[in-house]
Amino acid sequence: MLHFFDPRTDLDSEIDYGTPPATFDPTPDAELISLSIDGNEVRVPEGTSVMHAAAMAGINIPKLCATDSLEAFGSCRICLVQIEGRRGFPASCTTPAEAGMEVKTQNDKIGKLRRNVMELYISDHPLDCLTCPANGDCELQDMAGAVGLRNVRYTGQSAIPSHTHLDEKKDTSNPYFTFDASKCIVCNRCVRACEETQGTFALTISSRGFESKVSPGQDDAFMDSDCVSCGACVQACPTATLMETSIIDKGQPEHSVITTCAYCGVGCAFKADMKGDEVIRMTPWKGGKANRGHSCVKGRFAFGYATHQDRITSPMVRDSIDQPWRKVSFEEAFDFAATRIKGIQEKYGRNSVGGITSSRCTNEETYLVQKLVRAAFGNNNVDTCARVCHSPTGFGLKTTLGESAGTQTFDSVEKTDVIMVIGANPTDAHPVFGSRMKKRIREGAKLIVVDPRSIDLVNGPHVNADYHLQLMPGTNVAFVNAMAHVIVNEGLEAADFIAERCETEAFHEWKNFIADERHSPENTEQFTGIPAAYIRGAARLYATGGNGSIYYGLGVTEHSQGSSTVMGIANLAMLTGNVGRDGVGVNPLRGQNNVQGSCDMGSFPHELPGYRHISGQAVRDLFEDAWKVKLDPEPGYRITNMLDAAVEGSYKGLYVQGEDIAQSDPNTKHVEAALRNMECLIVQDIFLNETAKFAHVFLPGTSFLEKNGTFTNAERRISPVRKVMPPMPGLEDWQVTLGLSKALGYEMHYEHPSEIMAEIAALTPTFSNVTYERLDEEGSLQWPCNDETPDGTPIMHVDGFVRGKGFFALTEYVPTEEKVTRRFPLLLTTGRILSQYNVGAQTRRTENSSWHGEDTLEIHPQDAEDRGINTGDLVSLASRAGDTHLRALVSDRMQPGVVYTTFHHPETGANVITTDNSDWATNCPEYKVTAVQVDKLISETASSEWQNQFAEFTEQQIAFIDK
Amino acid sequence: MSENELSHLIKMANQIASNIGIGSTEEDCVKKVVTHITAFWALPMRQKICANMEEFAEDLNPIATKALLEIQTNLKAA
Repeated sequence: MLHFFDPRTDLDSEIDYGTPPATFDPTPDAELISLSIDGNEVRVPEGTSVMHAAAMAGINIPKLCATDSLEAFGSCRICLVQIEGRRGFPASCTTPAEAGMEVKTQNDKIGKLRRNVMELYISDHPLDCLTCPANGDCELQDMAGAVGLRNVRYTGQSAIPSHTHLDEKKDTSNPYFTFDASKCIVCNRCVRACEETQGTFALTISSRGFESKVSPGQDDAFMDSDCVSCGACVQACPTATLMETSIIDKGQPEHSVITTCAYCGVGCAFKADMKGDEVIRMTPWKGGKANRGHSCVKGRFAFGYATHQDRITSPMVRDSIDQPWRKVSFEEAFDFAATRIKGIQEKYGRNSVGGITSSRCTNEETYLVQKLVRAAFGNNNVDTCARVCHSPTGFGLKTTLGESAGTQTFDSVEKTDVIMVIGANPTDAHPVFGSRMKKRIREGAKLIVVDPRSIDLVNGPHVNADYHLQLMPGTNVAFVNAMAHVIVNEGLEAADFIAERCETEAFHEWKNFIADERHSPENTEQFTGIPAAYIRGAARLYATGGNGSIYYGLGVTEHSQGSSTVMGIANLAMLTGNVGRDGVGVNPLRGQNNVQGSCDMGSFPHELPGYRHISGQAVRDLFEDAWKVKLDPEPGYRITNMLDAAVEGSYKGLYVQGEDIAQSDPNTKHVEAALRNMECLIVQDIFLNETAKFAHVFLPGTSFLEKNGTFTNAERRISPVRKVMPPMPGLEDWQVTLGLSKALGYEMHYEHPSEIMAEIAALTPTFSNVTYERLDEEGSLQWPCNDETPDGTPIMHVDGFVRGKGFFALTEYVPTEEKVTRRFPLLLTTGRILSQYNVGAQTRRTENSSWHGEDTLEIHPQDAEDRGINTGDLVSLASRAGDTHLRALVSDRMQPGVVYTTFHHPETGANVITTDNSDWATNCPEYKVTAVQVDKLISETASSEWQNQFAEFTEQQIAFIDK
Repeated sequence: MSENELSHLIKMANQIASNIGIGSTEEDCVKKVVTHITAFWALPMRQKICANMEEFAEDLNPIATKALLEIQTNLKAA
């Protein structure tokens, strides 16, 4: 295959080129320009800066205000060069390279000028380099050395004492970094990073001239400002002005290991900066293709949970949950668990046990758990937490497009013209991608937000939605049908694309269906609450505005018609020809780090790895041959079915790896009843989570820092997870599963996770060319990665759909049975917030709780006033499933009739409220629609009955641990 | 058999019929529901609902009923 220079991929991510690469189309026709720098010929794409061109030639022009994650700024005057035939000394960062240019980056005159500039900087900078936290990693110090500064004639302190910044106070309000203004050189890099990289605009430069200083908001402390603690400013700072507290405390790292974040489905690449086997900092890696060097408050800073005192590192067993735990060896725990599981199967039948894999664990680990269930338990009762989030994505996209995955890369957003965000809140839940999306919007892309709440994207700094379609929860299908109706009835469909790429008969059946008046926006307005004119405008924009892309989240899937909405979204993309190229597509934003991977690895009860149905004889033959075991051809129980059967009494044993169903699954009382009915509940986790409180066997797990493996993010990108510290329990998670399987009588033989991946690749056509060696070489690979696509597949369905022809599925709007009544007149929808992650087991054990220490109930001012509720009041939240108490937050982000809360804190019991309604196709719970009532409580300390029971039970269970 | 589990199964069968059992002929609608339930429901779930469907016949919608009768026949034949 021919290779053409691509500035995006052919640059060394360890080098700071000073300015970003030029936008460049890496095709044979694209031309490079040639210039001379210090006598060296350099060929670069047009639009490259002189500074960047020099760096490509290995010539590092001194700089302070420039860094290649930010646009050139030209303020520090250190990067001056001379250009033949031009007057003066232009800044190399802001000067574009031109063909034939002859550049001198160094001579006596330039050197003198640079020393003079540097002398001025240093005149207002503390000379405490030896005790400075940036010692060893300070660009100012490096540049002073590079320009040869030997003397500072202007001692600001004595000349004009009141005009120096040497006595500025430190701002230590942020728990993760310190702002030491005395070290600031006002290079603007932090301000620009906050604007350009993060898109929050929390920082500014206040005052003028020598008085200029960096200011969060209106001279606020960082914690009181709009700062979201993403770390971009800290990353960009060339001095010790913005510095991680951990580095101030412990000093500079001595080595780094590149690994993958274990939080959301963006899958950011990080450098784990180490001192010995201690992680002292996580810095976003510029070479990471998912995050391109950016981070959020979770991945960047919230890693302290890995060594938190709550970690349980010894296996424990007990006969019943009203007994204390007994610490045992791994061998004893495996034997205890295996004996019980075998006894249960003997007594209640082969189908009476099963397992749950985790989207937080690696591909290799989830693969082993599903293998254990199918091979050692002898049934297909394996499911994954994707059941309760993106299972409708798997079903819906497989049905329509032919593959259970998103179609794009994250980079694709840079080429999009119209972004439609449906039921997703990227700036909170997928913040790094949210920032990239905001950047594209600032560049001019149009934005349609479909959400019951007014999320940050609707009206943020320099980002405003062109349409906010504020629908009522539970009416997604009516909305998506109305969009399609407008496009069809106004003749805006991509007829050629459909004729060439989609099933003709199915399309015509669907077209007749969707053209019916009942799907018109004028009719659906009564359900959705969206004015018909808005729908018509948004549909026209999406269909005709250029590259149209859809990004969606759990606001789509977690409904009784989650699968229908996913299919409706795929219909819209096919209808408008927005599939199969950069800038378009259907993009499910996955909640957890390895949701995609856990699904890929055969965690669903009806599918073997690679989404192949268990009933297929040929596929079973393949696995039976490799695993040397007979497989059950029948699909197994899904999580919700397991819990129903447990309550009923026919399901008695469960192996749960890295998942907390007692907190995350809906209708907590039902889940608890099911767990109490278990005779052998095995929980493998790093903490005694809520589910473990009902367990009989606790197998200590390991964090992502303690093991090798891979995660697969929302863009199908398989990225390495690398062990940087020894596993605290002594075994890595995959080894624990091997031990349990052996005790069950089914021995598996692997010496390293790479061997597990080799087996996955051998059995899964979409993974067949994935190896650890390739991952080390490439950094990451997007599946399908096989002989046809050896370098992976960034964009799917390019020349045709995976299923052959695209399938337009009929999506009738069937209203949810969960309806408001006089008793429960409001609709509750749940979600998450930036600083916390899922059930909070990790982030609650970090300083991230400084931002979100408790779950609150967001309520519209009118609904609040009707009930006499003010912000901070304790309120009861009740549904037909249960009730709980929490504090109110009156917010005009809500629409009347809709309330919202998060589920990060177990004592809140948000899922005590949610019901057992679920998606028709996949049983994904309907978290997003629960009819509730909210009342102000008279007592300021009252807990609900469930909360009292929870507190008592938790106290008892913690006392049962002998730490 | 708890009423809870069975009532869930009946609700799920009705939901499937309402969502997928649409368009074209009744025969096709029934077929789609049969295919879906057979592909995604565990055997004990299919056995339970089929064993109890007569008792709860009035709670099932017509397409779901026909689909479950066909599934019942398939189970007996297996």
